[in-house]
Order: sequence, then structure tokens, then C-alpha cells
Amino acid sequence: MNAFHAKYQTEIEQILAKYPPERKRSAVMPLLFLAQRDDNYISPNELADIAEILEMSVTDVASVVGFYTLFYDQHEGRYRIQVCTDLPCALRGAETFFEALCKELGVSSGGTTPDGLFTIEEVKCLAACHRAPVFQVQGDGEIAYYENQTAETALQVIAALREKAVQEARSREGAA
Amino acid sequence: MANQVTLTIDDLTVTVPEGTLVVDAARKAGIDIPVFCYHPKMEPVGMCRMCLVQVGRPMVDRATGQPVLDADGQPKIQFSPKLETSCTIPVSEGMVIRTNTPEVLRAHRDIIEFLLTSHPLDCPICDKGGECPLQDLTRAYGPGQSRFLLDDKMRLAKHVPLGELIYLDRERCILCARCIRFQDEIVDEPVLSFYHRGRSMQIVTYSDPPFDSYFSGNTTDICPVGALTTADFRFAARPWELKNNASICTQCPVGCNTTLNTRREVKSGGKWVVKRVMPRQNELVNEIWICDKGRFGYHYAESGERILSPHVRKEQGLVPVSWDEALDLVEQRLRQAGAGTVTLAGGRLANEDLFNLAQVTDHLGGRKLLHTQVGGGEYVQRYGLGKGSNLGELGKGDAILVIASDLQEEAPVWWLRVKRAADRGAALMVLNPRPTRLDPYARFIHHYRYGEELEALGRLAAGEGELAEAAEALRSAENLVIFYGSEGLGLAETTALAREAAGLLAGSGRAGKVNSGLIGVWQQNNTLGAYDMGFRPEADLAGALSGSGLAWIAAADPAGDHPALEAALKQAGFLVVQDLFMTRTAQMADVVLPAQAFTEREGTFTSGERRVQRFYPAVAAPPGPLADFSIAARVGLRVGIELEGASAATVMLRIAASVPAYAGLDYALISEVSEQWPIIGREDRYYGGTGYDNHQGLGVQLQPDAVTDPDGEVSIAMAAPAPLQVPEGAVYLAPVTRLYDQGLTLKPSMKIVGQRMARREVWLNPETAARLGFGAASLVTLEGEGWTASGVEIRVDEQLPPDVLLAPRSVGIPATGPEAVRLRPLVTEPEA
Ligand code: SF4
Ligand code: SF4
Ligand code: FES
Ligand code: FES
Repeated sequence: MNAFHAKYQTEIEQILAKYPPERKRSAVMPLLFLAQRDDNYISPNELADIAEILEMSVTDVASVVGFYTLFYDQHEGRYRIQVCTDLPCALRGAETFFEALCKELGVSSGGTTPDGLFTIEEVKCLAACHRAPVFQVQGDGEIAYYENQTAETALQVIAALREKAVQEARSREGAA
Repeated sequence: MANQVTLTIDDLTVTVPEGTLVVDAARKAGIDIPVFCYHPKMEPVGMCRMCLVQVGRPMVDRATGQPVLDADGQPKIQFSPKLETSCTIPVSEGMVIRTNTPEVLRAHRDIIEFLLTSHPLDCPICDKGGECPLQDLTRAYGPGQSRFLLDDKMRLAKHVPLGELIYLDRERCILCARCIRFQDEIVDEPVLSFYHRGRSMQIVTYSDPPFDSYFSGNTTDICPVGALTTADFRFAARPWELKNNASICTQCPVGCNTTLNTRREVKSGGKWVVKRVMPRQNELVNEIWICDKGRFGYHYAESGERILSPHVRKEQGLVPVSWDEALDLVEQRLRQAGAGTVTLAGGRLANEDLFNLAQVTDHLGGRKLLHTQVGGGEYVQRYGLGKGSNLGELGKGDAILVIASDLQEEAPVWWLRVKRAADRGAALMVLNPRPTRLDPYARFIHHYRYGEELEALGRLAAGEGELAEAAEALRSAENLVIFYGSEGLGLAETTALAREAAGLLAGSGRAGKVNSGLIGVWQQNNTLGAYDMGFRPEADLAGALSGSGLAWIAAADPAGDHPALEAALKQAGFLVVQDLFMTRTAQMADVVLPAQAFTEREGTFTSGERRVQRFYPAVAAPPGPLADFSIAARVGLRVGIELEGASAATVMLRIAASVPAYAGLDYALISEVSEQWPIIGREDRYYGGTGYDNHQGLGVQLQPDAVTDPDGEVSIAMAAPAPLQVPEGAVYLAPVTRLYDQGLTLKPSMKIVGQRMARREVWLNPETAARLGFGAASLVTLEGEGWTASGVEIRVDEQLPPDVLLAPRSVGIPATGPEAVRLRPLVTEPEA
């Protein structure tokens, strides 16, 4: 059993149980999501471990990571803030919204805050054009949608996430 | 036979089997439909849109189900509103295809224009320039001008090593996925894939080592642009400067047909040199593929280490002399030795060489010995594939048994052909002591213990236990092909295995049948030819050599292979060696005669499927060396037998007259070709790739003795192998083959494939290693029967069975068969 398998043994077994053994490569997407849960990216070791578990070539697993924009092979922020700046959203002010967030976080498009918490990115249509400005936050193994946003509401979301991280750090210290 | 379908393509009426794709139907009819992503050896994917055509189908009256007729009583044709990809639609009755209407031509133009928006058009510095489908199709179908801005072109990395053998130019890639699909569909080693999508899509490999496949070079032939190039040919020459010379790969018994591309070079003093090896189509042998060993392993022929003149031993050692002086001495000593002459030939020699050597030896009354660790050729002569066999025809209802062979390492293209037969539904049975790359395609797998191959075969024949089903599949199969190799085996063991396997074939009434038969996975390309010319292995080779009045060794290096043979050669009355290189044996010789390489002369080899195939001279031989058959003829003349020494073709006539299996053969017959599908080569490279079409011969398959002489029998004077006892503290050594060996004919290609070459290391199950007191990476000395090998690294592999040590051949571990060996740490710790 490889390191990734050992780390998430129960989850992996549950996921694999959903597919017939000869089709286990179907589990590649859920396993990639799992691998991304802790640090929001898939490391080369995790890639190799998933390939081994599913009896696929590492190249084929990597190709899935490459195809889907929500899988990452680079280690960046714990939370990825993804703002749609496609045309319909731009018409509803997404660009200024995006700039405001960048300014507040002190990074430019695609950048990561020095504390490693946030990466901010422009993305294509999130299918909520009529509720722009819209963004999603990907992190901690989840994706949350925020529609009809203003800079203020978005900053509250960011502040809440930051607070969560601070609390976690405190409780870790407390435990130590 | 499949139902036939008739359709119209442009003005031609074409009849093809049901299921044929429109693109293929057109190609067969001589009409070009341009393609990029489609390749006739692979499933269509319809990705590039280059093959768009107008498709019309007969209109059918919905109420009556009858075709609607026009005023002239002809079926009315309904054309689809949009163009369709001809690579994805099968033909149907009455279909009308138009490949050159204005709409279609417009589509071609647009697709080319689009493709070129992200293509650098750096043809002047591109290796593919001159034989590039994109270049050809752009000239034939492109708009000539682009409406896109040059500054908007994609700019991407141009020298991306996909491993050390193949380079990728990302700018040139047109994302046709031919390379990916080749690795996936044909080889099933999916080590290439796309990454990202849309305009950011790229080819990647994540395997370790990168692009980990023995077939990687083939992707450079089918890549329709200059995106994939080999490290070997990259920037080496322009295609239009190259001459094509038909040849046969000399690296293994598959006998892949190749083309040697040569040109004259200033760098080489104006001499012709081989620039690359390309596959030459032979659908009966290698189709349009070759393995990387065959593609990159030719450099030995041009090695600077070649012997260029005859040598004779004098006081100061071996000194260069004239042919006359060397041959005078050989003549004198041969006359003295007479019947005490022992000729030892290697399976690298051509049939013509072997025939002449045999004739001289017979004339003297000497012995003709074959240097091989794989025996049983007599059984293959008798029970080999029936004449007319084609592994490409095996499929559903047929059975293939592979025993004691790691086929991908021993003969890659056979591995590929067997795998493909299994893909088509043939029942594949793999009997081997450890898992190999053939297991995934096997219907029945049996991992027996090393040393128990005969028992395993016996169990299969009897249908015992878990092999009952396999036995039934074997019994009921229409055709049966058996491959036996030398995984963990030596001469005596393989000979015994061949006998049992032959018994299985003959016992089921399949002797001599077309598409059935026995195939030995030899370690040299022409071992079977050597059998045919009368050479036989000798169990006690050391005894035979040490007792000889004169040992005449051609294309073999016994001294380099085993210390016992080296010692035996010291006892021989006189030693004559003919070879390309100053091997260890040559260094001991009294006379050394320099031989020509296969690139410098002509001749024939007999492949493991008993196909006699012809190779042609590609470059001029350096002054000095002679073809082995010429050397033998000159020697013959001096000792009183007249042989053909001037041309290989006339030697073949003599062979035909005196070797019954070769009766009626001549070079004209061997050079005959017939039409092959798919069409590939020069004009059709956009379709089948840049591999060469075959104008120089498909070869002739020999009829097995079981057909020509049904009452004959095989008698071999070789004792059955004694079961190996492994004493306490020792371990069972099993010799195994690695494709990239350190043999004489591959080592000079070190700079290309060196990183993948077998190293001086042995493999054990981790527990066995621990039991013996060693861990991974320890350095040890191996002690076998009469030899030691030190500085050997221990490697562990959990997949290996316990209590066995795998030793790759050719890395300086002289075991010639299974053997009990002891391991000592390389540096002994001082006693406490
Ligand atoms: S590298 Fe060549 S074969 Fe592979 S996708 Fe690109 S163009 Fe096609
Ligand atoms: S499979 Fe054998 S004959 Fe064919 S190219 Fe490879 S080494 Fe040469
Ligand atoms: S364009 Fe922004 S959500 Fe659709
Ligand atoms: S779509 Fe038919 S050849 Fe590419």
C-alpha cells in the first residue's frame, strides 16, 4: 500500500467500492479530488500513487489533471479565489470587482498572498452570468459559489476564511 | 468473407468489403483524401477535420422503404447538409462521395490555414522537411497565404526531450494524437498523453524513464510533422539527400525489414554513411514497425574499433599482414589439422557465410559447431511454422503458447504481434516463472518455478488442475503457435523444452500446418540459418575446442563468454578468428581475419519464422575486410574445394542445390513483392507514415520438414539436463535476456541507448536477498562453476519468486544456463 493509499485508506476503499474492479480507472476523478483535499494540489508522488492504485500509467492520470481546470499540479494558495471575468460578467462589472479584490489581497492576477492562504485567478464562465459578479472558492476539498457579489461581501468571505485559518492555527498550538 | 459494398467516389465505382472506411475505400481506389489524424493501422478519431468530403446517400421513401428514383430511374441521392469526415464513416451501398467539389477544397484550405496559425513553418531547419505530410498537404491543398498575423503564432519550446531517444518540438505538433494512440492502442504502453486543452494542449510523458517504450521510434515515422524526431537522426541529414537501401535488422530473430538511409559525407571523407534505420513494410513480418534496438543499434557497423586488416601472431603479438600471408598460414595449419578442425560459427552470420564455412569444414572432415545458448533448432526445422504462415492472421479461435520467454525483451516485434493477435481474440497462454509484459494479454497465465518448465508444459498437455481450461483451449484451437525462449535456461534445457513443445504440436496433428508451428526465440538473428547450413550446438563445447587441432571461429566470442571456453581455446592446436572486432577470442588468435559488416555486403538471413530474407549492401566496405562467405571461399580454394566467393547470389544457388529445404530458392524469388495494405511510403507518407514501402522482397518462407519428409524424425545427441541441486548457502541463478544488452552489436550504440542498457546487476526477491544477507544496492561477488564475477550490484523486486537470482546476459556474468552460485560481499568486513 502506497503512502497516499495509507493516508486515506477508508475513503479510497469507499470510492473504489463504487466501481467494478475491472473498471477501477473510473475512480480517477474522485481520487484526484481526494489528493487535492489537504493542500489544494496534486503532488508528483500522489500522481504516481493514484496511477498505481488504479493500474493506470502516470501519464494518463496526469493527462486528466491537465484536462480539467480544477485540478492543479502546482502548489499555490490553500484557497483559490476564482473570479469570472468573461464577457457577460465583465458587462456587470466583474473586471473592477476583480481589481478591487486583487488590491485588497495585495497580489496581481494569478498571485498568491505571502501567508500562502489565497491565490486569486480569473476564470472563464462559471455558468452564473446573470448573477455576476460571481466567484468561487476552491479549497479544503470543497468548492463554494458566491453570486451577486460586491467587493465588500467578497471581502467578508475572505475575512471569514482567514479567521478559520487563524482559529485552526490556535487550536493546533493549544494542542501542542 | 465480408459482404461487399459498392459506392461511387468522384467518378469511380468502387467495391469494397462492408465496414471499410470511406477514406480507405478512396485510397484503395487510388483517390487521395488528405488526412492528418487518421492512420490506417489505428482506430479513427476524427480529430483534425482534414478529411472532409461530401457524402450522399440514396434517398429512401419512408412509407415504402424503397429507394426514391429520379426521372431517369436512377436512385436519387441526398447529400448531407454539411461535410463529413471520411475517416469516421464506413461505406454504405449506393453512397456517393465527392472529394473535390469547391466546398470540399475550401474546407481543406481552411483546415490547413487553421493548422498553420500555430505551426512555425520552420521547414528549412526541420528534420521532416522534404518528407513531411504537413508540408506536402499544404502545398497540395493549402491556401498559399495566411490571413492570420505572424505575431499571433504560438511560440513554444522546440527542444523538449521526451526521454533521451525522442525529442518533441511543441510548436510543430498539430495535436493529431497519432503518437499517443500508437502507444495506447498498438503497444498498450500509454506513456504519452495530452495535457491541457484547446490551444494550450501539449504532448507530455510522465513515465520513468520518460517515454518508456521499446517502440518509441515508430512515433517519429507516423508523426505527420517534424514534432517528433529521434536523438539519432535529429539534424543529421535532409531526407532528399538520402539513398534507400533495403536491409534486414540483425538484432534479433524476428528479422524486421528495414531501409538503411545513407548519404555521402564530407565529415566521413566523402564516404557513404548510414544516417538512419527505417522500417520497411512487410506485413508478414514487422508490418510497418521496428523496435528501438533495431532503429538505433546499427552503429556497430561503422564503429572505429573494427578490424581492418588480417593479423597474424608473431613474436611481438598480433601484427597486421596481407591477406595472402594470413591465408597462407591458415592453409598450412588447416591442412595439418584436417579432420581435427572445429569450426564454431555464431548466429550473426548470413546463410551464404555459413554455407561456405560448412563446405570447407566438411571437405576437411572437421566438425561444424554452432555457438548458441538456445538449442532445439532441429525441432523448429521439422515443426516450424507451415509455409504461408502469418502471425498477423492469428485471432479468434487460435491459440498461442509462449513458454520461458520474456518476449518483449527477447524479440520485441514478436511481442507486439502476439499481443495484437491476443487483441484480435487469440487465446494466449503464458508459461513463465515470473510476470512479464505479456501477462496482461494472456487468457491463461501460469508462473511455474524456475527449472520446472518441462513439468509446466506437461501439466498443460495433461490439462491438470488450474491448467484444465487452458488445455481445452489449446486442444480446440484452429491454429497453434508455440514460442519457446531462454528465460532462465541454457542449451540443454531449451533443447529439451523444444522437444516437448514439438511433441505437443505434433501430437495434436498440427505439424506443418499453415499458421501453426514452433518458434525458437533465438539470441541471434540467424541461428536458424546456421542450423539449416548444418551447424549444431555442442553440449561440451569446451571439450570440443580444447581437443581441436585447429579452431576456426566466425562471429562468435567464446572466450569473452566464459572462462572455461577461454581456457579451452588455449588448448586448441591453432586458433583462427574471423570477426568485425578484436574480441577477447580474437586477441588470443593465431590468425585474425577481418569481416565485413552487414551494411557493406549482401546476403540472406533466415528468420525465426523460417523466412529467408535478403539484405543489400548500403555502404562501401572499408578496404581490408571481406564478406565472411568470401573469406571462407578463399580458404576453401587453398585447401582444395572450389566455392563461390564473388557474389552472395551465386552462393545461394549452391545452397538451393544442396540444402533440401532451400531447393528452388534464388535471389529473384526472395526479392519478389506483392501488393500490401495499408499503402505507405513516399507518395503515401501522409497516409501510412514515412516508413518505406517494399520493392526489394518479402522473402520466402521455408516449408517445414514435417511436410516435405513426413516420416523423418529428429535425433539429437544431447543429454537431458540434470536437475540442479542448490547447496546450502547458494542460490539458483537464472540467466535472463534484456533487450538493451551489452553485446558486441549494441555496445557501439551506447551513446544513444546507453542509459537504458542492462547493467552489471542481479535481481532478487527482497526476502531472498535478506536471507542471503544482502540488501538493495549491495555490491557482491558471484561465484559460479569455474567463474567469478565481482562488482555486481544487488537489486530487489517484490514481483520475483523467492530463492532465485536473475542475472542479465551479456553484462559479464558468464553463467550460460541455470547454475547454483554463491554470493560474497565485495569488501569483506574484518573479523571482529
Ligand atoms: S507529436 Fe506528432 S504525432 Fe504526436 S500529436 Fe503532435 S503531430 Fe501528432
Ligand atoms: S524486433 Fe528484432 S528484428 Fe525487429 S527491429 Fe527489433 S531487434 Fe530488429
Ligand atoms: S460569463 Fe461569468 S459566469 Fe458566465
Ligand atoms: S478527421 Fe479524418 S483524418 Fe483527421
